[in-house]
Amino acid sequence: MSDAPVLQIRNLHAKVAEEGTEILHGLDLDIPAGEVHAIMGPNGSGKSTLAKVIAGHPEYEVTEGTVTFHGEDILEMEPDERSQAGLFLAFQYPVEIPGVSIANFMRTAKQAHLPEGEELDLFDFQDELLDRMKLLDMDPTFAERPVNDGFSGGEKKRNEILQMAMLKPSMALMDETDSGLDIDALQVVAHGVNALTEEDSQMGVLLITHYQRLLNYIKPDVVHVMVDGKIVKTGGPEVALELEEEGYADYREFETA
Amino acid sequence: MPMDTTTMDPEGVTETLNREKVQAYSGPEPEWLKERRSHAWEVYEKTPMPTTRLEEWRYTDLKKKLDLDGLAWPEVTECADDFDACPDGLRDAMEADRAAAGHVWGIDGLVFHIDLEEDLQQKGVVLTSTRRAVDSHPDLLKQYLATETLPPESGKFEALNASFWTDGILLYVPSGVRLDLPIRVTRWVSQTGVALFSRTLVIAEPGSQVSLVDEILSDDLESQTLVSDAVEVVAKDGAQVQYVSLQRLGHGAFYQSSQRTLAQRDSTLDTLNVSMGASTSRVDLNAQLLGPGANSDMLGLYFGDDTQHFDHNTSQDHVAPNTSSDLLYKGALDNESRSVFRGIIRVHPKGQKTDAYQTNRNLLLSDNARADSLPNLEIQADDVRCSHGATVGQLDAESRFYLMSRGLTREQAERLVVMGFLGEVLSRLPLGGVVEKVTNVIEEKLRQV
Ligand SMILES: Nc1ncnc2c1ncn2[C@@H]1O[C@H](COP(=O)(O)OP(=O)(O)OP(=O)(O)O)[C@@H](O)[C@H]1O
Ligand SMILES: [Mg+2]
Repeated sequence: MSDAPVLQIRNLHAKVAEEGTEILHGLDLDIPAGEVHAIMGPNGSGKSTLAKVIAGHPEYEVTEGTVTFHGEDILEMEPDERSQAGLFLAFQYPVEIPGVSIANFMRTAKQAHLPEGEELDLFDFQDELLDRMKLLDMDPTFAERPVNDGFSGGEKKRNEILQMAMLKPSMALMDETDSGLDIDALQVVAHGVNALTEEDSQMGVLLITHYQRLLNYIKPDVVHVMVDGKIVKTGGPEVALELEEEGYADYREFETA
Repeated sequence: MPMDTTTMDPEGVTETLNREKVQAYSGPEPEWLKERRSHAWEVYEKTPMPTTRLEEWRYTDLKKKLDLDGLAWPEVTECADDFDACPDGLRDAMEADRAAAGHVWGIDGLVFHIDLEEDLQQKGVVLTSTRRAVDSHPDLLKQYLATETLPPESGKFEALNASFWTDGILLYVPSGVRLDLPIRVTRWVSQTGVALFSRTLVIAEPGSQVSLVDEILSDDLESQTLVSDAVEVVAKDGAQVQYVSLQRLGHGAFYQSSQRTLAQRDSTLDTLNVSMGASTSRVDLNAQLLGPGANSDMLGLYFGDDTQHFDHNTSQDHVAPNTSSDLLYKGALDNESRSVFRGIIRVHPKGQKTDAYQTNRNLLLSDNARADSLPNLEIQADDVRCSHGATVGQLDAESRFYLMSRGLTREQAERLVVMGFLGEVLSRLPLGGVVEKVTNVIEEKLRQV
């Protein structure tokens, strides 16, 4: 394993760009290559904000701190550059793009990930897409449906993982990919993610979740607890089990203390 | 106090556009046509220039957008019927064309080339230029050209066009003859600072079927050029007709097109207007549903950048009972471009059991773009199903971020969203080859933005 973490966050402060409310209040996080980390935390603690700030959402402004990816400062990079550098965010609320098929979207994205001047081989692409859909137990006709348009909650989440499987990131942020999935779908998605981490043993994963359930299928190396824009506890998989039992009461007291 | 009885000076009479010029132009023409032009000119003089005080012209100020005084007559280029000698832009457009049953191409308002499949000629299909038709098919022109469909009385521009048309396309399809492939027209504009008037006349006899794809294009034009089209389409009983207009003129063009379609009993008369180019583009489209069972699908696409101004003024007249029409116009607007959509469904007293729909949707890609949408209904029958709707939406930051987070650049993300948005219209086009052509036209424009 390489020494430097894939993703390293130091003293990260971020606010809503327009109105100025600070949401992340000095957050530290290290994700070494090949590790699976989970973040759990109460509603509104800033988990999605963290994921979006890492991915470069223009709605948030970083006022202090650093985010480095493979040792490189990414805070000045556009979202597309971060993606091309190997970062992937599976959205908590995937966006509908009417009239644009999944196949067309993925073709454009795959092409964008190629070096200048290189052309995507359409046959290889087609094979890969079918292959990945099979891995995620998706019907091939799905590729022709417009992105997330009219999808059920579970279909949207599955589609996120399909995109992840196509783009093969070195660091995947998964924001509540488990919510809205039934038990079978959860297993399929977890199986897909595990297949990817097996394919690339260096891939880092950050799972944002409210439920221990997901962590039964995707085993985390480290579990963090996030409250009010900060990581307040870091430990092993047992932390998730404790939370399941006791909730966040202890941490909330800690927060106001 | 005595009333002031002096009549107003006729409006829009210039050094180029005046009675003497009409007379001079029609000098060598047969008497009936001279009379037609002279009558049209009289109507023109009597008709005031539309102003923004008129509801239908409220958002398109001709005083600001059109300088009639600055227009000259085009020089007559007696270009031979030689494909290789054509301007590059015209050749590119024609080469991008797919299989067709016949082709027409022309430059600056004159037709230079016509071809039509041999067996269609034998079946009596006529594809010719309106200029040649004055000699070869005078009866068709006498009966149909600027008469019941689009007479000069329809408006100022219609009267001007009927006075000065120099050429155009005549397509006549006899009873029961069906064309599997479309007729493709490609018209190029090369001269700047001129006025061009052209007419398109399509007559489909009972039970016939035909599709006409009419593309007009140019490079950017240094000074304003007026490109005026008058389009008359008649579908007789049971005929199936599709008229597609692709407008890809350069900046500097003032495009004005008046289109009227007459759909008789059990006919299908569909139109598609794709407006991509010109500085100002005004399209008036009136669909008349005249016989029971008649149906018209009316599709439109526009995509503006810079300071382009599009104005689509549509009407659906349900005159007979049991007719249907379905209109969908969608447009994307970038930079400081602007669009106006005004549409009305009119159900006449005899139009019982009408099904009529009208939808206009706009996507704004910039904070400075603007779209005004004014749908309207006027219903004089009680047993009808009508609906209309209009939306103006922004390309939201969340969609852009989502796509960019997958590696697409901002431009690629916007292109994809626009293509998807406009794609809804393309998915409703029945003809395969046309979809491909229109898709290419949109993609070409997207590359320029
Ligand atoms: N663009 C925004 N404008 C205003 N407030 C925002 C914005 N984005 C986030 N917030 C606020 O910041 C806080 C953190 O939101 P965030 O979505 O990151 O929470 P979360 O931990 O993901 O919650 P959940 O578990 O419900 O998904 C919330 O109070 C939220 O309302
Ligand atoms: Mg969240």
